Amino acid sequence: MRLTNIVVQNLRRRKMRSSLLMLSVIIGVASIIFLYTTTQAMQEDVANKLDQFGSNILVLPDTEQSLTFGGITVEAPTQIKELDMSLIPLMQTIKNKETLATIAPKLLANTKLKGREILLLGVDFPQEFQLKKWWKVDGLEKNQIPSADQVILGSDIASSLGLIPLQTVTILGQDFKIAGVIQPTGSTENDQAVFMDLAVLQKLTNRPNAISLIETAALCYTCPIEEVTQQLSDKLPGTKVTALMSSLESRDDTVNRFNLFARSVSLILLIASSLVITITMKSSVEERTREIGIFRAIGFRKRHIIIIILGEAGFLSLLGGLLGYILGMSMAVSSGSELMKAQVHISWQPNLLIYALSASLIIGLTASLYPALKAARLDPTESLRYL
Amino acid sequence: MSLIKVCAVSKSYEGGDGAVEALTNINLEIREGEFLALMGPSGSGKSTLLSILGGLNPPTSGKLIIDDIDVYALNSERLADFRHEYVGFVFQQYQLIPYLTALENVMLPLSITSRSGKEQRDMAQTVLAKVGLGTKSLRLPNQLSGGEQNRVAIARAIVNRPAIIFADEPTGSLDSKTAKELLELFQALNQDGLTIIMVTHNQENLAWVTRAIYIRDGFLSQIPQEF
Repeated sequence: MRLTNIVVQNLRRRKMRSSLLMLSVIIGVASIIFLYTTTQAMQEDVANKLDQFGSNILVLPDTEQSLTFGGITVEAPTQIKELDMSLIPLMQTIKNKETLATIAPKLLANTKLKGREILLLGVDFPQEFQLKKWWKVDGLEKNQIPSADQVILGSDIASSLGLIPLQTVTILGQDFKIAGVIQPTGSTENDQAVFMDLAVLQKLTNRPNAISLIETAALCYTCPIEEVTQQLSDKLPGTKVTALMSSLESRDDTVNRFNLFARSVSLILLIASSLVITITMKSSVEERTREIGIFRAIGFRKRHIIIIILGEAGFLSLLGGLLGYILGMSMAVSSGSELMKAQVHISWQPNLLIYALSASLIIGLTASLYPALKAARLDPTESLRYL
Repeated sequence: MSLIKVCAVSKSYEGGDGAVEALTNINLEIREGEFLALMGPSGSGKSTLLSILGGLNPPTSGKLIIDDIDVYALNSERLADFRHEYVGFVFQQYQLIPYLTALENVMLPLSITSRSGKEQRDMAQTVLAKVGLGTKSLRLPNQLSGGEQNRVAIARAIVNRPAIIFADEPTGSLDSKTAKELLELFQALNQDGLTIIMVTHNQENLAWVTRAIYIRDGFLSQIPQEF
């Protein structure tokens, strides 16, 4: 027989007390696991949604003069030192290339339509629609991409010039059918621009392969945007690569709030579980005063008593940690996404089991240390008062 | 040869009305192989003396020398080792661990040794057979009679082959037949060379012991005629 036998036999005998202590660990661990995984999913979901609302990174010519476009700073088209299409394959050679989900090159040009100065944007429509998922275009079917002889108009330019889908307009001497009108976006530049196929605009302006800027969506929830920006800068000489900090800061702020909430609740649960363990173990020690006196009388050292008490707490904490992990992950996997209205799937995370077991063991042992020391310090004669 | 020397031992407790003297200037020598009865009326200090002799309760003054070891000069952990090596206790209410079987209770003192599980089990089983409980080793204490529990307590006290057994009123709650069987067992163990010190207030038990001492009001005294 070893001290572990005494531990196991006592736990078997005191089923109710053991169950209560384990239950407090299970509830604590399950709640923290559920909270952690669902918060993680919420963070990912929020990050994905934020990423969908625009580019994270802009690639611009490296020059001093500039104008504002879409809330970002770009060169004045007339003074532009242009980029070219050869940069796009280069972008896909950076170390974190998998994070560049969408690469949307643009050529900017000024022209007149019905006697009014307008901003003309040559875009790669599939990439542009991928990037601007919030666009709603009247006149276009779902998933329909405008052809080379079609344009789409911003809402302001369409209404001010009295243009509607299916009409024909002449731009730079060529006729284009209006494929659709973008519903108001709140962005002055988008609402006042005319969008046409990039290759067509390059041809019409006699600027083959030229582009003014590249917008790219770095769909990376965890990737370091600053690193991706640096990698792009290194790969693309003569360009200025800028991360849109407002978007990042907003995302960080949201993520930080979720994190803070999760940590606060986890801390409260940890403290509550620790207190339950301490109280339960202390009352267990008091209930077993005489038994501890017997152990001491027959020659058990103080450390043997501490091993027995901590062994019980450690065993229950480990088992509680395991069951808490299973319960918490089960809840998160089965209903976490639905409960949090998140579109991210939560999957089992085996690595959390190690954290759950380690944390519950440390908490269980720490919370039981005082009762264990108290038990070890019991005077054998006091414990066996009748002697 | 003296196995135990009690040198001017006194013990007082702090009570509500000041210090209460439980033992006063006790001097005593106990030889190896004795079967000694500690007798006296309730509250006379005999159980206090037993706990001091057993290394459980340090005296207020005086010394206890066992096998040339100044027992209360040892630190608390060495004192625990001393109890483990030299002493076996048979408590008044048996004091078995209720969630351990008879065999496991007997194995308790062996559980903190380096002996293998099989060796522990064999030793415990042998001792249980010696006290007549070889067939009931897997029973829990509440499945045994009072006399049987007492035998388990004795088996636990002797399994580690200590030099001395301290027994506190071992026959106090037993019927006369069971008490006689128990004393016969003690006598057999004593004849095997074990030193036994037994607290009792039953004069009939004197027939089994080799010597008796009497305590009254914390002092050693002559056994009274009427006792």
